Formats: sequence, structure tokens, C-alpha cells
Amino acid sequence: MMQRFGIVAALGLAVSAIGSAQAADSVRIGFSLPLTGIFAPAAPSQKNAYELWREQVNAKGGLDVAGTRRMIEFVSYDDQSDPGQAAKIYEKLISQDKVDLLLGPWGTPHHFAVAGVLERFKFPMVGDTAASVQLRDLKPGYIWFPTSALPDEQGKQLPLLLKSLGVKTVAITTAQHPFALENKKFIVEGLKANGIEVVSNAEYPLDIRDMTALISSLKQANPDAELSLSMTGDSVLYTRQAKELGFTPRVQFALVGPAATFFTKIFGNQVDGLLTMGHWSPSQTKWPKAKPFYDAYVAKYGEPPDYLDSALSYVACEITEQAVAKAGLDHEKLRQTIATDTFDTIDGPVKFNGVVNATTPTMFLQYRNGVFEIVWPKSEATASVMTK
Amino acid sequence: MSTQLLIAALVAGSIYALIALGLNLVYGTMRLINVAHGEVVMIGAYVAYWGISLLSVGPLISALAAIPMAVALGAAIYFGIFRRAMQSMEFMERIEGNSLLVFFGLSVILQNVTSLLFTPNQRGYRYQDEIVHFIGATVPVNKLIVLAIAAAVCVAAIVFFRRSTLGLAIKALMQQREASALVGIPLTQIELASLCLGFAAAALAGILVSMTEQISPFMGFPLTVTAFVVVILGGLGNVLGSLIGGLLLGVLETFGVALTGPSYRSIMIYAVFIGVLLLRPQGLLGAGRSRT
Repeated sequence: MMQRFGIVAALGLAVSAIGSAQAADSVRIGFSLPLTGIFAPAAPSQKNAYELWREQVNAKGGLDVAGTRRMIEFVSYDDQSDPGQAAKIYEKLISQDKVDLLLGPWGTPHHFAVAGVLERFKFPMVGDTAASVQLRDLKPGYIWFPTSALPDEQGKQLPLLLKSLGVKTVAITTAQHPFALENKKFIVEGLKANGIEVVSNAEYPLDIRDMTALISSLKQANPDAELSLSMTGDSVLYTRQAKELGFTPRVQFALVGPAATFFTKIFGNQVDGLLTMGHWSPSQTKWPKAKPFYDAYVAKYGEPPDYLDSALSYVACEITEQAVAKAGLDHEKLRQTIATDTFDTIDGPVKFNGVVNATTPTMFLQYRNGVFEIVWPKSEATASVMTK
Repeated sequence: MSTQLLIAALVAGSIYALIALGLNLVYGTMRLINVAHGEVVMIGAYVAYWGISLLSVGPLISALAAIPMAVALGAAIYFGIFRRAMQSMEFMERIEGNSLLVFFGLSVILQNVTSLLFTPNQRGYRYQDEIVHFIGATVPVNKLIVLAIAAAVCVAAIVFFRRSTLGLAIKALMQQREASALVGIPLTQIELASLCLGFAAAALAGILVSMTEQISPFMGFPLTVTAFVVVILGGLGNVLGSLIGGLLLGVLETFGVALTGPSYRSIMIYAVFIGVLLLRPQGLLGAGRSRT
């Protein structure tokens, strides 16, 4: 018995010795993701992007910290889909785990919860998977958001895209979720300003299981375009049932859902021509890093990245990497660099103004033969819009 | 239009009925509150998904693997946990609460093991989704298959509980536990059979659900909640009641939403639920069961 205890103790010592040896050399990067709970299905696309980045950087010999290369080590926790937990975890990451850098949690509420902690500890972090007009109200300082899919801008641009397609009437269906409702508010304003008539405007709860009645009423309204302001699960339900009931408007837009990998895996070319939000595409040749990222992701995971979450998460990693190469790990220098520099990412050049991305325009994507092409605005387009 | 709604109601209702049937069977015979019932549905759905994605085997053939798996899981739970626990008087005194905790733990374990093994990603596959015209409505073939199978199983269940010896024995156990032991019904076997049948029904429901909806490790919980609503509507321990309860919920959900709006779905369901609890606390078909 004593002998066995001795072996276990020796092993334990050996393991902790390896642990501390690694910790001395490596850069420790902390984050939390919802590995369990209601948002868990959303986490892999973000986690995959983080892990791909770590693997690529470590393969190059490590993260360039103002001239010296150090391997990246992740310290991550499950926040159980609870923003309150995320805030506690980030506090622990900073004060107890003493990580060198942070990456974002998943989703807007979690980013909001974490923003206060960053402010308190004066710890800079580039956020990623968050989008809300409320981001604009956050105090600039220690958090930044690379997204350009903010509802107020989408509300201005989407009606312009529809107008360019000759759309006169639209029907809107909106999931009762803060992001979808925020978009609806701005899109309805934008449609009005552009003289496009809203012939049907309905909301539904996120846990909806059948849309027969809803889609039948859309069919009767017979709009030129249908805007499905959906989140993930309901976007699949909508798409299945619209097909089932033969509702095929000339222009079909869906908010969240199509950019996620599972969506196109289910529908394939059935959803050719579907428009969605997003501001990244592997087809964009003027961003030389876009296609290599896509290819590396597909090679590692056997499926395409999520056009929103994976791309944004990877952009956040790239910005962090480039800022650390210049400023090192000093929080104040890092903050200065992130706040003022322009970064070269898979999503093109990114420069922040306050907390938001000031360079990337709001764009829209269209599914074409297995890839999402940027179709709006015309200056960024990788393909022209196709309609039925 | 109304046929369209009717078919939607029947498809939803027959799945609810099938899920609730299994839940009710387990509760009726053993007073076990199986909050992990939805996770068995989820396992069935995953078997169908992997069957079609890895082996190109249709979901109906996958059912031949999923059902024995669920039966084995049911038997393992019975022998591993409840058979011994149910011999303890202390456990039996509060069996409903205790089993709730056991199954809650099991539900968390099953969800997270699935999530670890297969990632928490949502998944889905296409199966028989060409559209056909069916008495004035347009329906994908997979929904007709779901409806046909779920309805056939429900009818078979009714016949089973009226005609077969096992079915009658299960019913006797539900109605009078002590008395049925006195007349020579082997409690252990019947309990085991009901648990396994309940799990089999859940796995079959999972196969059917996966044919028309996307799946994830966390899909089970809302189904468990719906199944409880159905079981309580129809009457705890009353098998025919849960079939009727399931159909009622499907109709209420579909036609209710068509008449009001999707936002009223939950309000309507729970209003009817509370109404039934107030007016007929034993459920629509429940005959005030004897407490032991």
C-alpha cells in the first residue's frame, strides 16, 4: 500500500513539474465557452477556430511576444451557457490563473458580462462572437468587437440590397430573441425609408416546433421577398417547412442559421440563392488570408467553418497575435496597440473606432454551390446577386 | 389549408403520444419519474443520424439497433439501480422524489457524454424529403412515414394493453400493485418489461423525430417536459390517456397557433394544462388511482 502511494506521489510530482516547466515558457491564454447548457451547440465553431489558430502558431514555433517565440497554452472553462458564470471565470482567469492573454466567450450576453471584469482589472481582450447595437454603448477601453454585422447598419443596408433587386413587398418573420428583434426594429425603419411595403410581420417564440400556420399566412401575403429573422434551430424549421408548403418567394433572407455549418450540411443545394448576414467569404481574393484559413479549417475539421462565429473568433486571434508581436504582454501597451493599429486579418484590414470595427463594411452573403459569396455591398462583392 | 394543419397536428400529436406512452408506462408501473426520458429519445435520434451518415442505413433499419440499445439501457438501469434501491423501505417511501433525482443525474450524464463523444453540434440529415400531394395538402414523405409508424405503434399499444397477458399484467400492476402481487403477477419481470418497453418507445420516437428535425445532445429536455404535460393531461398511469393527451396537445398547438399566433403557443398549452389540473386533477382519463 505504501509502495503504491509512493508511486502515485512520484507521478504526481512529475506531472506537476512538467506543468510548471511548461507554464514558465508558454503564453497562457484563457477563455470560457458554453460546453454544456443551452448554447453548447454554438460553441464548437468558436472553439475550433481558437484551436486551429493555436496549432498554426505553435507549428511556427510559438507566439511572437515582442520578438521571442513562446508556445501557446490554453486555459479554458465551461461557463454552462451562463453569462454570470463567464464573468466569474474571467475574474478567476485573471486573478488566480494569472493568464497572459484572454480570448472571448460565446455570445453577446457573455461578452457584456465579461466587459466589466476586463475594465476592473484593466485587462485588454479582443471579443468576437457578439453583435448588438448596445455594444456601441460600452465604455471604450479594454474590449473590442471585430463584427460588422451590427443591427443598425444591417437595417440600413438590407433594404438597399432589396431595392436593388426590385423588391416592392416583404414579409417578415422574427424569432423572439434580442438579436433578431433588434434587427427587426432597424430593418422595418429602413424598409419604410426606402418605400418597401411590409405585407406581413409576425413574431414567434424560439421553441416553436411547427410553422405550418405561419408559413401558410406568408404564402397568402405573397411577398416579393421574405425576411426570416431567425436564430439557429428555427432557421432549419422554417427552411424545411417553407419547402414543404411550397412557399418560394423570389428573394429569401435568413438572419442567423445559414452561416452555421450544420445548416448547409442538411440542405445542400436546396438553399441555393439564400441570402444571410455575414461579412466574410473564402472567395474574397482581396483578403489573401481568407482562402488559406478556409482550407486549413476544412483540412483539420472535415467541414467548412461557420461564416460568422469561426471567422470572427479567428480574426480576434489574429488581432491578438499581431498586437502581442508589437507590444508584448504589457496590458497598457497592448491596449494602446489594439486601439490604434490596423490589423491584417482573414476578414481584410481591421481597425477599431472605440469598441467597434471601423473598417469592415456591413455585408450580406448568398449561398451558391456550396460556398457563401459576398453579394452586398457591390464594392466588396465576390459574386452578383442571383434571384429566382 | 385545414388538411395541411390537420396533418401537422397529427404528426406532432402522434410523436408526443409515443414519447408520453413510454414515460407513462414507467411511471404507472413503478412510480419512477423518468426525467431522462428525453435523453433516450436523443439516443435514438443519434443512432439514426450515425446510421445514415456513416453506414448509409435508413432510419427505419437503424431502429432495429436503437430499440435493443434502449432496452439494454433500461435493463441496466433496472438491475443496476432500481432493483436494489426498491428493496429499501426508505427509498420506496419517497420513490417519486428519489427516482426524480436519480434520473435527473442520469439525464445530465447522458447529455454531456453525448456532447463529449459527438460534440454539441446540431446535426440533421435528409431522408425521404420529396414532397407529395396528400388529400389537398403538400407533405414530405418522411412526415407521412412518421405519422404511419407512430400511429401504428399507438394502436398496437392499445391492443396490447387490452388483449395480451403481459399488457393486462402491466395494467393490473398500474392499478393495484399489492393486489396484483397477491394474485401471482411476477412484479420484477413486469416492472422490467415496462421499463424496457418504455425506453424502446422513446428510442423509436427519437428515430422518428430525427427524420424531420435537427438533433443535438440537448434536444431531450424539452421533449421530456412536453411528455410530462401530455401524461398529466391524459392521466398518470393511464396509457390510453397519454395517447389522447398527445393528440390533444398536437391539435391545440397547431390549430391554436393558426387561430391566434405563434407567441400564444405556450400560453395556450399551459392554460389548458392548468385548467385540466383544476377541473380534473386525475387527468382526462385518469380514474383517481389508489395510493399505496
